[in-house]
Amino acid sequence: MYENSPESRTQAQFRQQVRAWCEQHIPPDWRQSQTGVDDDEFVRFQKSWFAELHSAGYAVPHWPREWGGGLSVPEQIVLYQELAAHDAPRLVLAFVGIHHAAATLLAAGTDEQRRRHLPAILDGEIWVQGFSEPEAGSDLASLRTSARRAGDSYVVNGQKLWASGGKHADWCLLLARTDPDAPKRKGISYFLLDMTTPGVEVRPIRNAIGDSHFCEVFLNDVEIPAANLVGAENAGWQVAQATLGAERGLTMLELAERLGNAGFRWLVQSAPVDDPVVADRLAQFETEITGLRGLCRKVVEDSENGTVGPADASIVKLFYSELLQRLTDFGAEIGGMAAHTRLAKPMSSGWESGSWLLDFIGSWEWTIPGGSSEIQRTIIGERGLGLPREPSAV
Amino acid sequence: MAPEFSEFHDELRSVAGDLLAKDRAVDWSSLVDAGWVGLEVPEQFGGAGATFAEVAVVCEEMGRAASANSYLGSAVLAVGALNTLQPNQTRDQLLTDVASGATRIAVVFESEFVPDAKGADRVLVVTNDGVDVGTATVTPQPVLDETRHLASVRDVEVTERLQFREGATVRGLLDRAAAAVACDSLGLCEAMLSATVGYAKVRQQFGRPIGSFQAVKHACADMAVSIAVSRQLVGAAVQAIAEDRADAHSSAAMAKSYACGTAVDVVGKAMQLHGGIGYTWESGIHVYLKRAALNRSLFGSPAAHRKELANRYL
Repeated sequence: MYENSPESRTQAQFRQQVRAWCEQHIPPDWRQSQTGVDDDEFVRFQKSWFAELHSAGYAVPHWPREWGGGLSVPEQIVLYQELAAHDAPRLVLAFVGIHHAAATLLAAGTDEQRRRHLPAILDGEIWVQGFSEPEAGSDLASLRTSARRAGDSYVVNGQKLWASGGKHADWCLLLARTDPDAPKRKGISYFLLDMTTPGVEVRPIRNAIGDSHFCEVFLNDVEIPAANLVGAENAGWQVAQATLGAERGLTMLELAERLGNAGFRWLVQSAPVDDPVVADRLAQFETEITGLRGLCRKVVEDSENGTVGPADASIVKLFYSELLQRLTDFGAEIGGMAAHTRLAKPMSSGWESGSWLLDFIGSWEWTIPGGSSEIQRTIIGERGLGLPREPSAV
Repeated sequence: MAPEFSEFHDELRSVAGDLLAKDRAVDWSSLVDAGWVGLEVPEQFGGAGATFAEVAVVCEEMGRAASANSYLGSAVLAVGALNTLQPNQTRDQLLTDVASGATRIAVVFESEFVPDAKGADRVLVVTNDGVDVGTATVTPQPVLDETRHLASVRDVEVTERLQFREGATVRGLLDRAAAAVACDSLGLCEAMLSATVGYAKVRQQFGRPIGSFQAVKHACADMAVSIAVSRQLVGAAVQAIAEDRADAHSSAAMAKSYACGTAVDVVGKAMQLHGGIGYTWESGIHVYLKRAALNRSLFGSPAAHRKELANRYL
C-alpha cells in the first residue's frame, strides 16, 4: 500500500541497514509502557531513546560530519521514512537542541559556543526556545524582554511564553531587546541562557489536552555573560530568521512520514472500511498525505540545492497542520463513543497517536504556534505570490 | 529527474506555452509540425521516441491555455494505445501516419463520450485484450465546455483486430488517460492563479489593491497550496506511468481525484476573486471553470478513483 519511488543501490543498502536496526532496537511495547507515565519516566525514556539513536549515528544525521552527523540528504530521507515505518518513538525533548540550537550555533555561533554546546547536546543537554511573549505572539518582533549591557554581561528582564519543554531545559535560546529606540526588528539580540542562572523562574501552563509541557519563563535581573551573545548585538532578528527555517524541511518530512505510516495505518485499522462514505474519506486522506510527503521531500531536496521557494516551508506547514486537524477529527468521529474513553495518549508518540480525540484537540498546537495558519497564508500570499502587504504592517 | 531532462522539459514547456497562447483553437497540423503528436512514437516510425513524461508537459500547457484541439484523443490516447499493441504492419503504419499527420485517430473506451472522434480517419475500439481498428458513425455530443470535442461512436466497421503486447492492459491505458487529464487540470489551475494574482495586484478598491486584503490574499494562498499538492501528485503519477511501475494505478487515481477535484475549487475562487468582471463571458474565466468541471468527469470522477484506492484497504 505504501509504495516508494525506485532508489539508488546505496540508498537501498542504507534502507536495509536502518530497517535491521529498527527491528532490533525499537522497544516493541513502548506505546503501552509510555501511556499515562509521569514526567520523570517520560524524561528518562526520551534520554535513553536519544542515546540509543545517537549510538547508531541516527540522532543528528543532519549535522556536519565533524560534529557527529554527516548523512547525505537522501540518506536522511530514508532514515526518517524507516523510523516512521517502524513506528519509532519521537525525539520530543531533544528537538529544540538538535534542530534550532544546533542550526543557530552552526550558522551564527562562535567556535567556542559550538565546542561548548554541540557535544553537550549529544550527551543529552536539553534546550528550550524563548521567543514568544504575552504581547508578542504572531507579531514576534514586538517582543519586550530587555537585555541591558553591564560590563561583561547583559542583565535581562521580562517574560517568555509557550516555552515548550521549559521545565526540563538546561539552556534557552533567548531573544531580547538590546536597543529600545531602534525599529523593532533592529534592536533585538540573540542569547544562549543557562536555565540555572539566578532569576530564571519556570512555571508550567496546562494546555487544552491537560499536558504541561508549555511553560512561562520569568526573567528577573538575569545575568548573561556577553560571550553568550550569538551574532552581533542587535542582529538577533536576522539570526532567528535564518535558523528558524533551517530545520523545518526535515522535521516536516519526519512528521509527514509518521502521518503516512502509523497514523494512516491506525486510521484504516479502526475504520469501518466497508462503509463507502468512510472509504471515500480515507482515500482522500491517503491522497493528501501522499501529496504532503512528496512536497516535504521536494522542500528538503530543494533546500539542499538552494532552489527552495520563499513560501515553500509555509505551504508545507499550513497544509500539514490543517490536514492533521481534519484527519484527527475524522478519527475521533469514526471512533464513536469509544474514542472518548481514551483518556491518555502514549508519551513520545507523534501528533497522530491513535488516541484520536486527544490528537484532534492537540492539533491546534499545529495551527496556532510556529506562525499560525493565518500568518502562513499571509506569507504565502506576500512572499510566494508577491501580493501587496497589509498597509499597516511595518 | 535528471538535469538534461529537466532542461528539455523547460524548453518544451516554454515553446508549447508560446504556441498555444496565440489562439485558443490550434490546427492539428500545427501540433504535428511542432512534433508533439509524435512525441511518444518510436523514432523508427518518424516520432521523437520520448515518453509520457514529455507528453505530460504538453498536456499541462494545453490546460494552461484551455486550448481547443484534438491532442488528448488523437495524440495522447491514440499513440498510447498503439504503443501497447504487439508490433505488426498495421500498427507500425498507423504509428507512422499519426506522427506524420497523414492519419488522425480516436480511441474508444466507451461509445458515448469519445474525445476528438469527429473528423478522425479511424477509430481504435479498446477491448479486453487489444483494440479493434475500424471506421464508425460519429455524432458530436455538444457539452458546455466548448474547448473539448466529444462524440458518440456507433456502427463500427472493424477492419482488423490487434492484440496487446505482453503485460499491457486496458487499465494501464485508462491510467494514462486519467493522468493526462490531471496534467490539464494542473495547467489550468496555474493559469487561473496567475491571472487572479495579477488582477489582485492592480484592482483597487477602498483605496488599495484588493490583494492587500487578507480575505483575498488568503484565498490566493489556498489556491497556491492546493496547486502545490496537485503538482506533487501529478508529477508522481506521470513518473510512475512513464516508468511503467506497479504503483502507476494508485498514483494515477490520486492525481486524477485530487488535481481534478481541487481544480474546480481553484477556478471557482478565481471567478470569485475577479468579482463582477469574473462572471462575464468576456473575462473567459467561465471557459476554465467549464473545462475544469469537464476534466473532473472525464475518465473517472474523483469518487470513482477514490473507490479504487479504497479497495486496497479491504
